Amino acid sequence: LTATGAGAAPGAGDAPAVTHTEDVMGTIVSFTVVPGGLPATAVRAAVADACRVLHRADEMFSTWKPDSPVSRLRRGEATLSMMPAEVADVLELCDEARTASRGWFDPWAMPGGVDPTGLVKGWAVERAAAVLRQAGAAAALVNGGGDLAAFGAPGPGARWRVGIRHPWRPDALAGIVEVQAAIATSAAYERGAHLLDPATGRPASGVASATVTGPSLALADALATAVAVGSDEALAAVGALDGYEGYLIRADGSEADTGGIGFVR
Amino acid sequence: VQRAPLLVISGAVAGFAGLIGWHSMAGAPAPLAAPAGPARAAGKPAQAGKAAAAGSSGHRGRAGTTRQPATAGGATGAAGAAGAVRTATGPAENFGYGTIAVRVTVRGNRVIAASVSILSTLEPTSQQISGQAIPILHSEVLAAHSANINGVSGATYTSQGYYQSLQAALAKLHVS
Repeated sequence: LTATGAGAAPGAGDAPAVTHTEDVMGTIVSFTVVPGGLPATAVRAAVADACRVLHRADEMFSTWKPDSPVSRLRRGEATLSMMPAEVADVLELCDEARTASRGWFDPWAMPGGVDPTGLVKGWAVERAAAVLRQAGAAAALVNGGGDLAAFGAPGPGARWRVGIRHPWRPDALAGIVEVQAAIATSAAYERGAHLLDPATGRPASGVASATVTGPSLALADALATAVAVGSDEALAAVGALDGYEGYLIRADGSEADTGGIGFVR
Repeated sequence: VQRAPLLVISGAVAGFAGLIGWHSMAGAPAPLAAPAGPARAAGKPAQAGKAAAAGSSGHRGRAGTTRQPATAGGATGAAGAAGAVRTATGPAENFGYGTIAVRVTVRGNRVIAASVSILSTLEPTSQQISGQAIPILHSEVLAAHSANINGVSGATYTSQGYYQSLQAALAKLHVS
């Protein structure tokens, strides 16, 4: 565990935005918090509480840690009734995501037993953001390794602006969207270079990048995973959901979106 | 709806005229290559039928717009072109393969260079990965910074540490 990068950055409102980065869940989670009227000490305490939520999620849901509750569940050494309540909550959300994605997100179809990994990071980051909101922060953006949860406004009349990583051009963004609550991107590049077509340098699978926005990062995370697997069919499922929008870049570079994702450009 | 790749090194971004060059780890000038045009020459246009089918209420956005990438050479250089040249170094951040600290140079509000001032890696494999990753990170961070955005969806965690260090360096210079 390291907690580095704490410091202040320019922001809107009475007090400057507070930034913090936390090494957790196998990634770096970064916080940008607009305090509003919240005293600096309270902001620090809220960020620490939010980090505890993330670490607790990691302890419960890591499939890399053999003694985590989920690992024991996967091996059949424990039943759901023996799990922390959050495990049942997450599996309930997984079931909802499976239905919403028309089966393209299915933790129960994973080898080695139920694997909620595709939803857990978004769920945890969403909860971390909720801790900051409940503490009274005016606004915040929590970036969990590329899955982001937000609330409030970064400044008067402003909205959180989030770039979408371009799947094969590091000097470009695929787009920029204004985010009110959640955005998640799932991409072939996360799965390793062996999926890249050596002739083109592009991912060999049908989907290069899948992005979903919506009110819940847990569901957006799961749906982005679904679109990365199910391509246009899964994108259609996202478009049918109230409040959720999707953006797909296929491996051949062609694109589709659900129309309402709100690209700034 | 075919969207051209969005090169955010654009004079259209208020306050940031774009970045014209980076320094490599060794400090040798490494100008960012100007984009050579759409990267998706082989890409087929998105099928309108599919895009429409994906939306519950039809197509709602960005009708008929195909944007060409802006080039670094297209930056106007107006905002922040004048002003003192200042440099700051961000804190060392975990970047996945070790720790990294980013030094950034601005003229006015315009980032004109970034380099890695501290880099420690855990093992030879990591050093090799770092050597490949850092030029990419320079470009990624450039894209993020010049677009005046708050984060990047889908960005690897490696770039987050780099980004954090760079953001902190910019904060020291009162450039957000």
